[in-house]
Amino acid sequence: MFKPIVFDEKACTGCNKCVDVCLMDIMEKNPEKGKPPRVVYPDECAYDGACWFQCPCRDKGAITIVPPLPMKVSILRGKKRSAS
Amino acid sequence: MKKSVIGKKQPSPRIEVIPIETDVLVVGGGLAGCMAAIKASEYDTRVTIAEKANTVSSGCAGTGIDHMWGYHPSVHEAIGWSIEDLMEDHTRIIARGLVNKELLYLVASEAYERVLDLEKFGVNFRYEDSKWPGKFRIVTQFHSVPTTWNFDGVDLKVKLTREAKKRGVTIINRVTVVDLLVSQGRIAGAIGVDTRTGKIYWFRAKSVVVSTGRVNRLSRTVTGVWGNHRVPVNETGDGRAMALRAGAQIINMEFFTPPGYSIGNFELNLGSPRNTVQPAGSVVGPKGEAIIPRTHFSEWEKMARTRVNPSETRAAFEKTRVSPLMWSQLHDKGEGPFYLDLTGGTEKEIRYIEWSISNEGKGSYFLDYLKKQEGFDFRRDKLEWLPNSRELAGTAASGLLVNKNLETRIKGLFGAGDDVGGVPWMCSPGAFTMGWRAGEMAAKAARKQKSAIPAGREQVRSLSDFCARAYQNGDGVSWQEAELALQNILAYYAGNVRSELMLKRGIERLQELKERLSFRAENPHELGRCLEVRSIIENGEMIMRASLERRESRLAGYGFFRADCPEKNDAEFLAFLALKRDGQKYTFSRVPVK
Repeated sequence: MFKPIVFDEKACTGCNKCVDVCLMDIMEKNPEKGKPPRVVYPDECAYDGACWFQCPCRDKGAITIVPPLPMKVSILRGKKRSAS
Repeated sequence: MKKSVIGKKQPSPRIEVIPIETDVLVVGGGLAGCMAAIKASEYDTRVTIAEKANTVSSGCAGTGIDHMWGYHPSVHEAIGWSIEDLMEDHTRIIARGLVNKELLYLVASEAYERVLDLEKFGVNFRYEDSKWPGKFRIVTQFHSVPTTWNFDGVDLKVKLTREAKKRGVTIINRVTVVDLLVSQGRIAGAIGVDTRTGKIYWFRAKSVVVSTGRVNRLSRTVTGVWGNHRVPVNETGDGRAMALRAGAQIINMEFFTPPGYSIGNFELNLGSPRNTVQPAGSVVGPKGEAIIPRTHFSEWEKMARTRVNPSETRAAFEKTRVSPLMWSQLHDKGEGPFYLDLTGGTEKEIRYIEWSISNEGKGSYFLDYLKKQEGFDFRRDKLEWLPNSRELAGTAASGLLVNKNLETRIKGLFGAGDDVGGVPWMCSPGAFTMGWRAGEMAAKAARKQKSAIPAGREQVRSLSDFCARAYQNGDGVSWQEAELALQNILAYYAGNVRSELMLKRGIERLQELKERLSFRAENPHELGRCLEVRSIIENGEMIMRASLERRESRLAGYGFFRADCPEKNDAEFLAFLALKRDGQKYTFSRVPVK
């Protein structure tokens, strides 16, 4: 039903650290070396961010966790205030 | 072709069994389990952690924690506030009398020493900009004076794992422990399943620490997203289920935490303006009116000059506490919407809060999501304050009945952390202190034993049969199907208000479910989920049986309401009801609160 994890193929080195640390064990290594893992059980994602936190290429955007619609926060947008 | 890790292929019917010999076995490598293993390693013993996920990211603090409470000698002595005052605060304000004082004392008095240990393992607790003694960051959270350390805990589990490995602890990840092995009233080990390979692990151990945490998935979440709850989704009450089957006693399963409100739909541990989002956070109504006002940093310069009057301070603090039920009561009156509002905070306060969030629970990722995916800024925007899910058997007060050395009635079987019952909101200091003590006691018990008692042949065979049957049971029931059925039964028969006849019918329905249940698993991964659901069902049954036994209503650190026994009855029920199972027979004994 959900698509919790999006990999950027260019930034991901296929190190599989995320596969190792995943709380729910929802991913598996890509048979092709150097490619991003495959999310085998997307609906079991814990949205705890362990894969993202442990990703050595997270600053390059290798992995993004996308909360499903019912989990997205509801925001009341305000006006930018001047820095104090 | 390369074999897949999780695999779709059915393992062969003959399941491989891996024997492991150890002195101390720790079941569950969260905060408590890692601390237990680290401490046990000091006694020249072989220590093994069996962890269902990976210790670097598992447990309630798997992706971080920003706070822990405890008695801080150099702060509290200076203001004339004793450890007894802290205990009185916790007993009255949080537990409302129903608390295990021996364990509470352990947590309160040893938390500070564990902070010093955590520092040795590389966790940072000290900040140059702090004016508090020791350069700590100390805030008010659970108690009437500041007792909470804020710290850099986001990678705490990474550091604890590193320390455990450095000390020679063997960590076996991806093994779900299913049953404890007991022989003649003494622990002999445990058995489990590797949920990647399907292999069975047969642990022979001289002592065992059970530290598997809390129970999620007993009810559906408010958002409908599976497992979206502040308790990690793979915490399924395995420890208490296996302990019950082994003959240990379990307490407090009847209580639940009423569903409160929190940040948005994304359930995490950030809680209220009284914890991670303080001091600038307030909750406001639709016109901006404050419903929960903001707080301010406690300033040591001011505090250091005062002597605390404990009862007055406590009374003042209690007035600021908000019942979690308040929000749904306001909602029922047509009030709302409500928003978490930090916009009045100074830049320094907002940076402090963002730092706290980035260290707490799923907060590190949550903050990144807020900023990058939502373009959210606490300086400008407000987050809607929305209902979250209730927690059955909640808030860390349910679990194993243990003595002050954390030992159960089974010799050599210890509990630690959230798997131990009796102290509500003991949270991370509970895990640190109990883990440490349990590790010490388990190691000492192991040293007294020449060798592990041989046991488990029958259980290994039975587990092997269970697995083989599930793999071959194409027409069987999936774990999801069984979990839904259990949740429906608990939601209807063990709701927020319970009664004898409803509970009895609920237990009948649960028996029916158990009799019909023949699991289907395509692979070891799914088998692991089946085993979790088996634990959840066991926990559900404990909840209903314990609810039947508590013939009163009580608001403690959690709630319990019986429509047919609406009054609080201290004379009979200011006690833990210790549930025990012999074969299929359940019995209770009353353990009065001292």
